[in-house]
Formats: sequence, C-alpha cells, structure tokens
Amino acid sequence: MSEDAVLVEEKAELESSESTQQERTWQPIILGILCNWCSYAGADLAGTSRLQYPESIRIIRVPCSGRVDPAFVLKAFRKGFDGVMVLGCHPGDCHYAKGNYYARRRITLLQDLLKALGLPEERFHFEWVSASEGNRFAELVQEFTEKIRRLGPFKGVVTPEKKTL
Amino acid sequence: MFEVENKIRQEAKRVLENGLVELVIGWAPGSVPFRTTPVFIDRPEDVDKLVWNPVCANNLAVYLPKIAKDRKVGIVAKPCDIRSIVALIQENQVKRDNIYIIGLGCAGVVDPSRLELAGVRLSDVTALDWAADGIKVITLNGEQLLKSTDVHRDMCLACTKREPALFDVKFGEAVLPSEVKPRELPELPEERQKYWSEQFSKCIRCYACRQICPNCYCEVCFADRVEPKWTAKKAVPEENWMFHATRAMHLAGRCIQCGECERVCPVGIRIAELMREMAEAVKNKYDYEAGDPNEEAPLLGTFRENDVDPAQHS
Repeated sequence: MSEDAVLVEEKAELESSESTQQERTWQPIILGILCNWCSYAGADLAGTSRLQYPESIRIIRVPCSGRVDPAFVLKAFRKGFDGVMVLGCHPGDCHYAKGNYYARRRITLLQDLLKALGLPEERFHFEWVSASEGNRFAELVQEFTEKIRRLGPFKGVVTPEKKTL
Repeated sequence: MFEVENKIRQEAKRVLENGLVELVIGWAPGSVPFRTTPVFIDRPEDVDKLVWNPVCANNLAVYLPKIAKDRKVGIVAKPCDIRSIVALIQENQVKRDNIYIIGLGCAGVVDPSRLELAGVRLSDVTALDWAADGIKVITLNGEQLLKSTDVHRDMCLACTKREPALFDVKFGEAVLPSEVKPRELPELPEERQKYWSEQFSKCIRCYACRQICPNCYCEVCFADRVEPKWTAKKAVPEENWMFHATRAMHLAGRCIQCGECERVCPVGIRIAELMREMAEAVKNKYDYEAGDPNEEAPLLGTFRENDVDPAQHS
C-alpha cells in the first residue's frame, strides 16, 4: 500500500512538474545496471577523466552481467523508469570467465519478451563496455538519454486507460 | 479409442503387478462425460478407472517432481506431457529411471467450452471419441460429428508434434492437424501493449497457471516472495503485468507448449499465446526446442560462443 502511495505521489509530482516546465527541460530517468569489473569501472573512468555525461542515469552495480535477472529490467519498467541500460564485459572478458555469455542469452530473450508484450524496445539498451572505455560509456549514456528524450516520458507497462493507480 | 484404452489398462495392470512401478498416474472419468480427472492408481484391480479420450486434458507431468522423487511411477502421457517429462529430466527434477512412460499418439484434445458453441447440448453428452478429421460426440440422441478446428484447444490446433518423443511403451496413432492455426497477436507494438493490457487486467491472481504448469516447480515462487518484493499480490493491471511478464521470462526456452496455463485460466487470459511467441523466438535464434530429448542442457543453462549478440552497438 505505502509503496504505491509513494509511487502515486512521485508520479503526480513528476506530472505537475512536466506540465509547468517546457518539454525540453524534461530529464528522463534511466536505470543503469553495470557489471562491477568492466562497465562500472568504465563509468568510474569517465568520472575520474572528468567526462561530461547526463545525470539522467541511476547506476546499480552488480558483480557481473550474469547477475542481471531479467526481472530487474521488468520491474524497472513497471516502476516507471523511462529507459533501462544493461552494460557488461565484452564476450571473452568476463571476470568470472563466462557470466556474460549466460547473460547474453537471457538478455536476447528479454528483448524478445519486450517485443512480444509490445513494450517500446528502444527504451531498453544492452551494450558491452570495458573498463578502459570511459569515453564510450559517456557517449552511450549521452546517446541513450537523447533517444529517450526524443521518445518522451514512459507511459507505463500497461496502456493508460486501463490504469487503476 | 477403446482399444487404446484397454491397452493402457493392461499395461498399467502389468507394471503394477510385477512391481515395476508403485503407482500409475492417468486420467479417470470426470464428474461429467466431457471432463476427465487425474487419477493415481496403486492397486492392479483399480486399473479399469483409467480412460483415454479427447477430453484427457491434464498434463500429468505436473505431479512428477513431488511424487516420483524417491519411487517408481508410471505415467500415461500425451506427446506434450512427454515433452514436459523430458524437460523435467533435463532440469534434474525427476530421474528417468524413476518413471515408466506409457506414451500415446495424439489426435488433439477438445476444449469442452467449445462443444456448446459447436451446437452440442452438454447435458446430452455421454461419450467422446476421435473420428476422421474431427471428433465424434455420442449423445442421448445419437452421434454428432464435429470438425477439429471447431472444438480442439488452440494449442492442439497449433501442434505438429503428436508423436511421443520418449516412452517405454507406446499406444495409439498420431493424427496431425490439417492446418496449423496462426497466432492472433497484433503486429504493431502499441496494439500489442493494448492487447496485453486488456488481457492482464482480467487477471485475478489465482495462480492457477503457475500451479498447473509442470515447469513451475520452484519451491518458493517469485510472486510469493515478500523480500525482495517482485510484485505486489493485489490484482491491479501493473502488478498483473509484472507477474505475467516475469513468469513468461522464467519459462522462456523452457515452456514445452502444452497450453495448460491457458486452459485453467478462469478469466480466459491468452497466456499460451505469449508462450508460443517466446518459443518461436527461441527456435529462430537458438534452433532450440524445449522438451526435445535430443537437446542436451536447458537453453539458459548453457551458451555457445557464436550466440546471437543482443548489443545494439550504437
């Protein structure tokens, strides 16, 4: 109950701020799920190199892309994130030797599931980012944020007219 | 039909008498002639309870992980049920040595709710049987022949694997459908989302789909977890979406397409349609079919170095 009440408030706050401000000032909220050994280190490198990238991304650090349960992504969308990024070590570079290979199959099927459910696939982005690719990380976040900004706020996992919240 | 039924009874009697199994799982007549019920037989003199007809719907493999854990069990199984058994063996939920499979060639199972739509008075039905290209309904007023496309379950109309893939003994002939029913999922993403929103908004969260599913054997389901709370228990569209989406993901590459989830849904959600869509993606990308005895490991429990790359490379 309370969790939903908070969600309703957040949503209302978001919507009122949307209506008062111009659309160009709207900042998407993006969830980033990053592998500790490569992508998170890459994000760290972007930070220590003082590279600029949008503050729209909220990062969760996981030990390995193989730790990413597709339900993380589903729940992020259910909770109303405008976009979700999952980043992991390049194939062959996994700290645990093969975690990202398992992740690869899971993520592929997750993309198929999003497609089958009719969710906007472009709101989900999967990429391999190594620890040395600080530049690339910053670019990816920049590009993805731009893409989500063009798409506009995520309307929810179910079509609005059926919403009861 | 009666010939196959008799063979099933004889075989069940034989394996029970010579101690090959402790128990035989099969179908028995239901409370009405157009339904059957699962039956567990542990005495040879009870084998006459077993039946085989077009309304033997239940996928009996659902009982195996619990029942066949530490004893030998016989099971009467349709080809789809056998695919479930294969999947359970591959996922180490049952041992092959613990199961004696009485496999059946299948000609499709009837959806009883469609009999009425096809003009049958359900109260008059006394028995059902397969006939050439369809179903024969025996009523108090005689016989009625119905086309399989009118009365079969959707999953059966889309099923081309009607030969048992794994068995100890096999009875009955498989009859393939004359045409395969296409999926009815809308093409456009927005329409799909609307479609599923409407479907899932009906859900009352009874979890019948999960309980009937032979692949849903987790001791604690994510939907029942409180910490982490994947989905709230109340039946609101968003939470229903979360439940069905996560369940579909859990069954991706594992669902063997028996359609039991859709059959037992009290509000008629087209769950199997989603499962079929996922199974097709799995087939296209990995050339993998769940429940196929030739597959080595579960799809998501293994990988190949040249698998499809999901990265978008922007």
